Amino acid sequence: MSQAIGYGTAPQASSAARRALGRALIYAVALILAAIVIVPLLYVILGGFRTTGQIAAQPVGLPNPWNLGNYTEIAGSGSFWLLVANSMVIALVATALVVATGALAAFPLARFEFRGREALYTLFTLGLLFPVGVAVLPLYLLLRNLNLLDNAVGVALPEAAFGLPVTVVILRPFMRAIPAELEDAAVIDGCSRLAFFLRILVPLSLPALTTVAILAFVGSWNAFLLPLLVLDSPDHWTLPLGVSNYSSQYTQDTARILAFTALSMVPALAFFVLAERRIVGGLSGGVKG
Amino acid sequence: MRLRFGRSQGAGRALLVGLMALLAAVAACGNGSSGQSQNVKLVWWHNASEDPGKTFWAQVAKDFHTAHPNITVEVVPIQNEQFTTKIPVALQSSSPPDVFQQWGGGQLGDQVQAGRVEDITSDVKPWIGQIGSAASNWQVNGKQYGVPYSLGLVGFWYNKDLFAKASISTPPATWDELLADVGKLKAAGIAPIALGGKDRWPDAFYWDYLAVRLCSKQTLQQAAVDYKFTDSCWTQAGVKVKQLLDASPFQNGFLATPAQQGAGSSAGLMGNGKAAMELQGHWNPGVMNGLTPDQKGLGDKLGWFPFPSVSGGSGVDGAMLGGGDGYSCSYKAPKAACVEFLKYITSVDVQKKWAALNVGLPVTKGAEGGVADPNLRNLIDIRGKASFVQLYLDIAFSTSVGQALDDAIANQFAGSATPDQVVKTIADAAKNR
Amino acid sequence: MRLVGSPDRRQALAGAGSASDRAAGSTAARRRLRGRVEIGLFVAPALLLYLLFVILPIFMAGYYSLYHWSGLGDVTDFIGLGNYVRAFQDDVFQGAVMHNFTIAALSLLIQLPLGLGVALLLNRRLPGRAGLRLVFFAPYVLSEVITAVVWQLLLQPDGLVDATLRAAHLGGLVHLWLADLKLVLYTLFVVITWKYLGFGIILFLAGLQGIPRELMEAASIDGATELRAIRHVTLPLLGPTIRIWAFLSIIGSLQLFDIVWIMTLGGPAGASTTMVTYLIDRGFRRYAFGYGSAVAVILFAISLVFAIAYQRYVLRRDTEGALTRMVG
Repeated sequence: MSQAIGYGTAPQASSAARRALGRALIYAVALILAAIVIVPLLYVILGGFRTTGQIAAQPVGLPNPWNLGNYTEIAGSGSFWLLVANSMVIALVATALVVATGALAAFPLARFEFRGREALYTLFTLGLLFPVGVAVLPLYLLLRNLNLLDNAVGVALPEAAFGLPVTVVILRPFMRAIPAELEDAAVIDGCSRLAFFLRILVPLSLPALTTVAILAFVGSWNAFLLPLLVLDSPDHWTLPLGVSNYSSQYTQDTARILAFTALSMVPALAFFVLAERRIVGGLSGGVKG
Repeated sequence: MRLRFGRSQGAGRALLVGLMALLAAVAACGNGSSGQSQNVKLVWWHNASEDPGKTFWAQVAKDFHTAHPNITVEVVPIQNEQFTTKIPVALQSSSPPDVFQQWGGGQLGDQVQAGRVEDITSDVKPWIGQIGSAASNWQVNGKQYGVPYSLGLVGFWYNKDLFAKASISTPPATWDELLADVGKLKAAGIAPIALGGKDRWPDAFYWDYLAVRLCSKQTLQQAAVDYKFTDSCWTQAGVKVKQLLDASPFQNGFLATPAQQGAGSSAGLMGNGKAAMELQGHWNPGVMNGLTPDQKGLGDKLGWFPFPSVSGGSGVDGAMLGGGDGYSCSYKAPKAACVEFLKYITSVDVQKKWAALNVGLPVTKGAEGGVADPNLRNLIDIRGKASFVQLYLDIAFSTSVGQALDDAIANQFAGSATPDQVVKTIADAAKNR
Repeated sequence: MRLVGSPDRRQALAGAGSASDRAAGSTAARRRLRGRVEIGLFVAPALLLYLLFVILPIFMAGYYSLYHWSGLGDVTDFIGLGNYVRAFQDDVFQGAVMHNFTIAALSLLIQLPLGLGVALLLNRRLPGRAGLRLVFFAPYVLSEVITAVVWQLLLQPDGLVDATLRAAHLGGLVHLWLADLKLVLYTLFVVITWKYLGFGIILFLAGLQGIPRELMEAASIDGATELRAIRHVTLPLLGPTIRIWAFLSIIGSLQLFDIVWIMTLGGPAGASTTMVTYLIDRGFRRYAFGYGSAVAVILFAISLVFAIAYQRYVLRRDTEGALTRMVG
């Protein structure tokens, strides 16, 4: 290793110490930030184990005694699981739709050359620019005319449609990156485009497909505005609607609301822990690509 | 008459079967007009998302089904604040709820104009008389579009103990006395008035009442017709509001306090003895009680006094601000079944049982006896004797104007609008409605 | 370079020899047509879904925006640009636009340094790095509803936030977080940051991992201090990532709805209204569909102008700006 050229010849020891101090400081700041991030979640989870009386008497404190009643009551009630089931159905349908149609559409956009290709791609990226909120008024009327109100399909279809821009934007660079030689080989073997797509491209694009599937699933699972307006009967509600309604219905029972909210977080957090690497990998691929 | 289906009467039997099939088909096409003979389901949206109302109405639905086995009622309680978002959306769909909460006034007018509410004038004629004059608030152009089950008044609910603690011997009868009492309560370290500022409509009660005190009856009624707010009494109302605001009478953080949700709401504060007064409707005791740990609220420590008089106004003496709750049938509802249900809800028996909950004032003649709470009994008497009851302005006016009115007044309470600006905002909304 | 899959290359690979070239004239045309049909079939499902549920509503919004329509009944009262004029003159709407822009600006000013700092930290081999990453990213996965419900409880007067401040002897800092007109927007910004900081951190981390170690080593060999290395080597290389993050962040700020709607409904007194809460309130709750649609179109136009300008002036070096190529 060569000597430092031109810059300081300060004693190594003290600058290392300074560096270590600086690093410790930054680490402390990061820990404080992490605490700020996690404390609200802990508050909710632990609060569910207390009673409302406990919370009223002492807003900040550990459960004493630990009260399982809230959690068992809610987990035992069919209505909570109905919400989970509704959310699950809609999210699965929306995800399947957007991944399938998105992959099919991204394929020619990535690998073929044809007139209007960029225009088509731009058309899809336009969708990134506006939220469901902008389209929700006419969308509501459209769903009414199609008789899809208060219907899981009426929520899943628009969610899939609004998920297409992100899907196409992420899939296109991935699909483009697959070497041309593979396709050449396929053509020589007499493969049709569809076969190439199904047998070679899709398996190779699995990381990207997983990422867009996760993004679509999470997006649908957490959606609020569209289900709020489309789903009327409580039997059809999704989990966010349930949380929002529960919090305004049982307002005097703070502990119960906390328990309900904590249980609602479990699916999302569990999903995240399992899928975290994929999300990060997918996003980094999108950034680099 | 006995029918014999011997072999020789095969043709006759076929004819009979055919006729019955035809009848059944006609009945089925009648969209429930032959109601009694087939199974009907009514979807019912009401705003009693908490007890005691929630359990009560669920029981009503069950009892009705027992009495009418072919009609099933599906009950959907929706929290009040969410109601105002969900009902316009639902009415636009092709499957709105069959029976839904209705507050009458201009709001009903908007819905009727768009053809979303069933005209039930002829269907209710036989029994609407037992409800009396209250039913008129649910009419549009003389036709009945809904039926009330509760009509009440807005007034000051107060905590007798806290008043005594601040050395206030009698509730204030004039505006100046009210302001003085606010000062006394503050000196005693008590939050004088609880206000659910987050929901905006509690703010509007103050402005509405001052308008009722300062504007003549004709000005008030004319405004709901031509939406002109040129009379100076409207601005004067805001000036008086400012007087109150300057005295800082409300609890800490009132701008973000909801009216009815949770122990931290204005009703919760009243119920738990953390504020001395609240200007609210007749439903307040019921709401308050539900937000206390023992569900009993203030008990006999709770009193009521009318909105004080204001000198120099053209308002009718002893006029009240009030409104009620009722139900309407939507344009898609099976009419006969719906009207039958409304008739059941407003029957004397059900009204008496409902009155016993102490959450409101029944309208059906003969049901007053069911009211046990002395404060509410007092209100029924006052209601009967009131010279004039003005419907809350945000309901009396068409929806967009009513909402703009709530917003404008809330702005004034937040300190970002002057009395003039309040009137201007309302007038602008009226122009664009 | 031609992309694979263009008709000619496929033909060449499929071994269309010279002998059949002339005869292949019409076959080639047929093949080209079949190619187009094939492309069409691939794209059709997505396109159908997209056109029906995304593009069509936008045009419908444009159509309704020209009418004075409550949303109930028939669409008959044509007023041209009347709704747009009214919106621009309405101070609540003006306030809403300002609030959106404020949130966007604050995101750039505060979330960027914060996110970058944490990402730089997490990029080293520190103990508990994986756990920290999990912690920071968790809020992103939660729904905005849950975020709003939780924080509303925490921010109540004498709730957890106030109690913590008092316990830390910072009682003087206690304010009416959601009731103070001057504070409420910033309170909401803190909640938004809590939720979305993790997203930025993950993006920046991904970008940082793309920077070759050799560059950092070369910088330190050259005697640069850590900070100088970051400023002159890391940040410039992180440029594309930062620019994409900024784009997503700004678009997200313009579309803000769920958290605001549940925590404050745009209040008090319109102090936290955003364009989307405004249009939902006016459009649905006030029976003014036509007016609400006009606001929706305005929001779309703002987003579009921003996106085009951003692609042309900021992203032009980084990506094949599809929009730029179309417009420029």
